[in-house]
Amino acid sequence: MPVATASNAPKRKGPIFKPPRPVKPAAQLTNASTDKRATGAVPRSAAVAKKAAPSRPTREPIATLISSSESESEVTNSEADRDEDMQNASDVDNSTLFQEPTRDPIPPRLLSRLLYEGFENSNTQIQKGAMDLVGHYMNIFVREAIARAEMERQDARKGGGISDGFLQVEDLEKLAPQLVLDF
Amino acid sequence: MSSEATAADKEERLKSALWYAIGQYVDDECLHKNLNATPQFIGALTELVYTQIANTSRDLETFANHAGRKVINTDDVMLLSRRNEGLETVMKQYLDQMRAKETPAGVTDKKQRGRPPGKATGKGKGKANN
Repeated sequence: MPVATASNAPKRKGPIFKPPRPVKPAAQLTNASTDKRATGAVPRSAAVAKKAAPSRPTREPIATLISSSESESEVTNSEADRDEDMQNASDVDNSTLFQEPTRDPIPPRLLSRLLYEGFENSNTQIQKGAMDLVGHYMNIFVREAIARAEMERQDARKGGGISDGFLQVEDLEKLAPQLVLDF
Repeated sequence: MSSEATAADKEERLKSALWYAIGQYVDDECLHKNLNATPQFIGALTELVYTQIANTSRDLETFANHAGRKVINTDDVMLLSRRNEGLETVMKQYLDQMRAKETPAGVTDKKQRGRPPGKATGKGKGKANN
């Protein structure tokens, strides 16, 4: 069995190791955000999820697990057993990750209601496909707003301000004009 | 006056619903990015999104009216992204995906997927569509 894993080792493309974490929705969000840029980029989304892992202070034992293999992204043969476990776990994680639909920031029915509220003429209607597309548009809008707020926060941190990692209204104030111009 | 009050009330409730939805999403996103958001941030974002939706709906209505229609279709929505090329690309992709799903037969689905590289083998039809 170690021989088999050894022969497998060079074939692996980087990040196969992903510890089982109790944070499915978060992983799913990763998928959503990468999915936006490159649809169906399976290995990339896995990589991002993995990168995000060490920075989160969820559980100590898991954190140590990560550091044991994260130092050099390849796992040594002596750890073959554990590696196999982890690989299985990541497989399971991935499959559920892609079965679940991506979560919308704004529920479609609420958005539809809000749109109809905005129409001046009560006779105006909207097609189903157009509705979906508007939903996608607003999803992008919300995601973009949060992503830009995150950027602002990072800039503020570099600027030497006191930062506690909280997104502030000031961040939103800075990004709002350009955001609205872009959409 | 009572109608005014109910209108304001309705708007308030819609905003609350939006607040809740946005709050959930921001919390999820923050959990994942190891960030945090103040409640004020979520409130302000809600306000921003609410205004954007209101603008969007008025725009869409105007676009449809301009085309002499009472029903908004996807072309009107695509006009929303007229000033942002990147956004337009993303929306176009989504639209194509949606259309591919709508067409019932798997054959047409394959055809659509084959089209982009088909530029090399391209007959006039593919180009005309683009």
